[in-house]
Parts: sequence; structure tokens; C-alpha cells
Amino acid sequence: MRQYGVDRLYRLNNNENALGPPPAAREVLAAFPPERGAVYPSGDCFTLRQALGEKFSKDHERFLVGNGSCEVITSVIKAFCQPGDNIVTADKTFAVYEWVAAFSGIEPRLAPLRDYALDPEAMLAAMNDKTKIIFLCNPNNPTGTWWSKATLERFLRAVDGRAVVVLDEAYIEFVDSPDFPDGMEVMERHPNVLVFRTFSKMYGLAALRVGYVCGGFEAVDFVKRTHLVYSVNSLGQLAAKAALEDDGEHIAATRRMVAQAGEFLRSTFDSLGLEHVSGAGNFIMARVPVPDTLLYRLLIRQGVMIRTMTGFRFPNWIRVTLALEPAMEAFAKALRQTLDKR
Amino acid sequence: MDTVLSLATPPDSAFARILTTAAEALAQSRGLGPRESMRFQLAVEEFFTHLCQVTDADSGIRAEFTAKSHQVCVSFRFQASDLCLGALNASCACTLDGDGEASEDLGLILAGRVADRFRLIHEGGDSFMLYAEVDKAYPAAKAAPSAITFKHPYHAAPEQDPDRLMHAAAWAAARYPAWHCPASFQTPSKFADMVKAGQFSCVLAQDAASHPAGLLCWARSGEKGLSFSGPFVFAPQSDVPEVARILTDAFLASVAREKVEIVFSERATLDTPAGYFEALGSLTRYAPEGESDQPVLYRHLREDLGETVWADPALEEFLRAVYDRLAMCRDVLPAHPPGSLERKRSLFSTTMDKEKSLAVLRPLLDGQDMAANLAGHVRVLTEKGFLNLMLYMDLSHSWEAALAGRIMAAGFKPRLVLPFAGRSDVAVFQYAPNC
Ligand SMILES: Cc1ncc(COP(=O)(O)O)c(C=O)c1O
Repeated sequence: MRQYGVDRLYRLNNNENALGPPPAAREVLAAFPPERGAVYPSGDCFTLRQALGEKFSKDHERFLVGNGSCEVITSVIKAFCQPGDNIVTADKTFAVYEWVAAFSGIEPRLAPLRDYALDPEAMLAAMNDKTKIIFLCNPNNPTGTWWSKATLERFLRAVDGRAVVVLDEAYIEFVDSPDFPDGMEVMERHPNVLVFRTFSKMYGLAALRVGYVCGGFEAVDFVKRTHLVYSVNSLGQLAAKAALEDDGEHIAATRRMVAQAGEFLRSTFDSLGLEHVSGAGNFIMARVPVPDTLLYRLLIRQGVMIRTMTGFRFPNWIRVTLALEPAMEAFAKALRQTLDKR
Repeated sequence: MDTVLSLATPPDSAFARILTTAAEALAQSRGLGPRESMRFQLAVEEFFTHLCQVTDADSGIRAEFTAKSHQVCVSFRFQASDLCLGALNASCACTLDGDGEASEDLGLILAGRVADRFRLIHEGGDSFMLYAEVDKAYPAAKAAPSAITFKHPYHAAPEQDPDRLMHAAAWAAARYPAWHCPASFQTPSKFADMVKAGQFSCVLAQDAASHPAGLLCWARSGEKGLSFSGPFVFAPQSDVPEVARILTDAFLASVAREKVEIVFSERATLDTPAGYFEALGSLTRYAPEGESDQPVLYRHLREDLGETVWADPALEEFLRAVYDRLAMCRDVLPAHPPGSLERKRSLFSTTMDKEKSLAVLRPLLDGQDMAANLAGHVRVLTEKGFLNLMLYMDLSHSWEAALAGRIMAAGFKPRLVLPFAGRSDVAVFQYAPNC
């Protein structure tokens, strides 16, 4: 902050939950005995997996917890891909699937979006007999679009078990529509489906790095063999379990905040004549009349941090986390002032 | 595939023959002509022989040869406690004294001149790496491709096919002044080989019938930057903005997820679409017919997370103004010129591009003769007819940053800063002839 010359910084760049974790998780964090710092965590997150099993009415062996879902992405690619194989994903989506694949020497095959949404036909067309995994971010970060139950079902039938289909549902808890497909239910009909979820977004525990994959026994067991044990810390395991068991009012309050912030920013962008895109999830994108990376530097000097979108292949777009009123107002004010000057 | 050959030898010139034999074999493996092969062997022999004299007696020399499709290179890793390579300066003129003794190390002068480029990297302590390369010779472009009729719609995508690339490079060289083009566009088959070797990446625009309609290419600059050339558009004037825009979009999409911070261009064409890049400032382009301004463009690919740079007191105000204008967070640390220097002779590398009448200096070693050496470079390069003299200073090295005052005293003006174009930001100075 000193470097930026401001004494308060609103972080609207990582889609974190401005409300923080649910009350029960806060209590666990506050009550953690320092002596426990000396004790190794559960290597396989046994208790947390039991809580997950209970929550989703599944056997706990069907869950594998990682150091954020990013770690699980790496494990899944390692488990299913060998040199010469490829993965399919969208060109404008969460970057980690493509990055991990590329660094591991696995070809990422990218399907262009259509109308800001993942395009089932383009994704099928990108597949070949070397395709081992298809990554679907549902809802999609950064566009907020999502596939309905029917779209996903048609897609899975067309894939016909030829590849593993990963549904990254990092933002599922923000969606409030009966037409949204719940991966936990879909996987019971399609054994090639794996679901990723995270405690970093809705559950407000990004600092503790807890995410997980759920799927059929065999597939999850296969992923486990490539996965590091002891990668998730004790505090994270405890807080995640508590958060899971106390999420009702927290989710409702977060959704209210997101809806209100969304409304406010959509009208802000409208009044500035800026094109914007949003849907499910606690974020909104807008097209700005200057390089996004320049706007980032100008806004940070006014205490607001946003996400630049060039790296998402949306040059001159920004993504803003939907958060509490003071942050939204600070952003709107800084944006107005900056654009007025140019 | 590159061929790589490594040899570790004691600092003993009796081993020079082995190295020149290796150099010859590598040059032959890539089809270099007899002249280039001979130049490479000479460079290897003379550099090695010189290093045998200056390398600390109890340490070895590690030579690594690399043969790429368009060039052969050699690097020498060695340790020297008092390294002085003054004879490598482009400014170095050799005179004979009364006894017929050469005033300079003729071998070293020769090595510097027969190599197409060389670089010295100080790896800390007494460890250095000297790197030299010789390019294959290529035929100049044949007549420019004849005009064709283009059909909508246009699209752009990464391209590696050598024939299409040669065609596009020849077209760009015919349509755009040399100032905007990479030097290899004058010899399109070299350009295609450089793409194959990974020196350049490209996106090519095509019309509905797959005719090349435009080209944009880029090369790495330092660890965090990409320097681009273009957009070059061959479509009719009315379609130029559209093709330029899809080329720029395709370029940004293909580099979006690379591990680099910025893209920049010191030679972007006037067809560059508005709104995609920020102006860093401009360079003056001196040509026989007059002077003009060349804007320098850049854009970050991700969030600027700040950086630490060194600044000589003479440059500090300039730098702070630049960073403020760009709204860029930088810790600017003071780099003071040394009170006294042990090394007698400073060293610059010089790369020359005759088509652009451009010579670029980069400081490699500081030394007592800095002022005279800078003046010597200006004199020699001016005599050779170069109208544009630039000096690039990496602000991540405090010794290098501390040269600014002396460089400015020699007539070089700070023009702009290229963020992340070197190990960190790079300050660009231009020699201003008449002020
Ligand atoms: C779609 C998506 N998946 C996964 C993640 C990463 O989550 P984690 O913090 O669990 O690694 C993010 C975070 O931005 C995300 O947007």
C-alpha cells in the first residue's frame, strides 16, 4: 500500500467474499490453540471429507481435498494425461487449466466462446482421440454465463464417455436458478464427470487454501495416486468443515450483497456508456476505453484494485468483484474520475 | 532442433584447434557458406586465445556451441579477476607504435569484428559469460509479390509455415519503410528460419481465399518483455483498419497467457489500431531526407506489481516524471557513480542495422576511459554513416544505472523507459547530434 501511496486498498481483483467466512468458521479460526501449530494436519482431510460426504449424501471416499482447487486441477491433469494427450477448454475462461496443461507438456486445445458463453459445439469440435479431459467452468469465470441442465446433458451425451469432463463449480453457491445443473447430481448419471468446488469464494476462506474434487470411486482413487498428502493445513480443514455446516444464512447474505452490488455497478457502467457482461458469480466485466492494464494502475493509486482481462484474452476489459457498498462506491468514484480526465 | 556441443578445457591455447574444428563442423551442419564458417571459426579461435590469457590460471573455460537454423553461436564461461576487453569496442582503432608493435590486441579486435553480435554477461564475482554469434548469409528478397484481389472475411491466427511467412515478409518489406521492419524481412528465408528457431513468433491474417493479408511478429526482449513489429497489412486501404485490428487481437490472444509482463514496439506501423497500446514517448528517426518522430508503444499484459530500479542522480528526475506520467509504482534507489574505478577500459556492445541507419550501444563494463570511449563510439559510428545512435541501459544493475550522468555528458538524451524490457526497466537514450 505504501508503494501505491494510499492508506486503504479495496481488493476487487480476486472474487473474494467481502463478508468473510460464515460465523462458525470465524469461531474456529479464533479458537485455534497455538499449540496445535506444532501438530501435523490430517494427511487426507478425513473429518472434512466426512462432512462433505454428509452434506452431499455421498461416500467420503469420493472426495479428494487439495490446497485450493488449483492443486486439484494439477492432480487431475497428472492423473489422466500423458505426453501427446490434450485437454479441451474454452479460450476465455479461468486460466489455470490451460496453464497447468501447457507447463506439463499437455496440449491445451481452446474452443472460442460464443456470445460470451462456452460453446458446446466448438468444444466437441476441439476434441480428438487424444483428448483426455474437458474443463467446463460453470458458471464461467469471467463472463458469468452458465450451461443449463439441458445443455450440459446434451453435451455429456455427445461426449459419450470419451473423456473426463470436469465441472469447475467454484461459483455454484452464487447461483439461484432451478435450471442450473448441480454437478453432484449429474455425476451419478455420468461416471466420467468430476466436480471441483472451493472454499475460496462463497465460503470466504481463500487465505487457507481449501478446494476439492468429487466423482466416482474409481476416478477419485485414480487422482489420489498423483496427489500430495498433507497439502491442506489443519486450520483450513477445521474452518472449511465449520463453514460447510453453517452456510445457510451466510449464503443468503452474500447473495443479497452480490445482487445489490451488481445492480449498482451495472447502472454505473450504463451511465458511463460502458459495455458490461455479468451473470452468475460475484463479479462483473466491463469494456473500458483505455488499456485495462493502464486503468489498473490509475485505479490502484486511488485505493482500488481490479482485475485486468488481457490475460483472459479480453483486452481492454476489466473484472470487478461484487462486494460491499463502500468498496463499490469507491470503485465507481475512482472510475468516473479517471475516465473524466482522459 | 538446435545442435548443442559443450567442451570444458583448461585455459590453454593448445586446445584452440579442437574448438575451431567443432565450430567448422557446426557451421557445416547448418549449411553456412565458407565466409561465414570462416568468420565463426576465427571468432571462436580469437576469443578463446584471448580468454586463455586472462582467465584465472586455476579455473577452466567452458565453451558451448549452439547451431540453429539461421545462425551458429558460442558462449564461453570463465573466471577473470581483472577483466578488460577494451579492444572489443566498436570505437577501438589500432595504431602501430614506433617499433611496429600494435597498440591493441589485434586478435580481440578481429574477434569482435568477425562476429555478427557479441554479449558479455557478468554472472557475479569473477564469473563472466562471453557470447558471440555468426548468422548464415541469405539471398535478398526477390521482386515483391504482385497485387491480388482480396475477399472478405479476414481472419488471423498463429502461423509457422515457411512459405507463407516468406511471402508475407517480402510483402511487408516492399510496402513499409525499413524502419518498421525486422532486418530479416530483407532476406525472407532468414526470417522464416528465425521463426523456425523460435526467435520470432507470428500471427498471419488471411482473406477468405487464404491469401496472406497481413502480418504481426514478435521476439523476446529480456525475461519479461516481447518486442513486436507491425501490424503490416497488405490488403487494400479500405480494409487496413480491420486487418490491423484482427492481427492485434490475435497477437494479444496468443501471448495473453505467456509468462511475460509487457509487449512493446519501437517500430510499430502507423496502422496500429487506437486504444490497444499506451505511448511511452518517441524516438527521433534521422534519415538523409530529414527527421521524423517514431512513437514507442507498449502495453502490460497483466497487473503491474511494481519494481525496483536504480537511478543515477542525473537521471532521477527524468525517471520519476516518467513513472508518474505512466502511473507506475517504482522504488527508485540511488545509484552513485563510483569514486574511482580499477578497470581502465570500459566496454560497449554495438549492434548495427544499416537499412535503418541504426546503431545500438549497450554498456557491458564500466571503466576509467568511459567518457573517451563514448566519444569514440559516437565518432566511429558517425563516420560509418549511422544517423541514429541509441543506448539501452538496464536499470536493474546499479553500476549500469550509475553511468547515466556520463552518458548524458557525452551527448545522449534520455528519451523514454521501456518497462520490463530487460531484467527490469530499460532506459533508452538517443544521441542528439546538434544539441
Ligand atoms: C473458476 C475457478 N476455479 C478455481 C479457482 C481457484 O480456487 P482455489 O482458491 O480453490 O484454488 C478460481 C479462483 O479464482 C476460479 O475462479
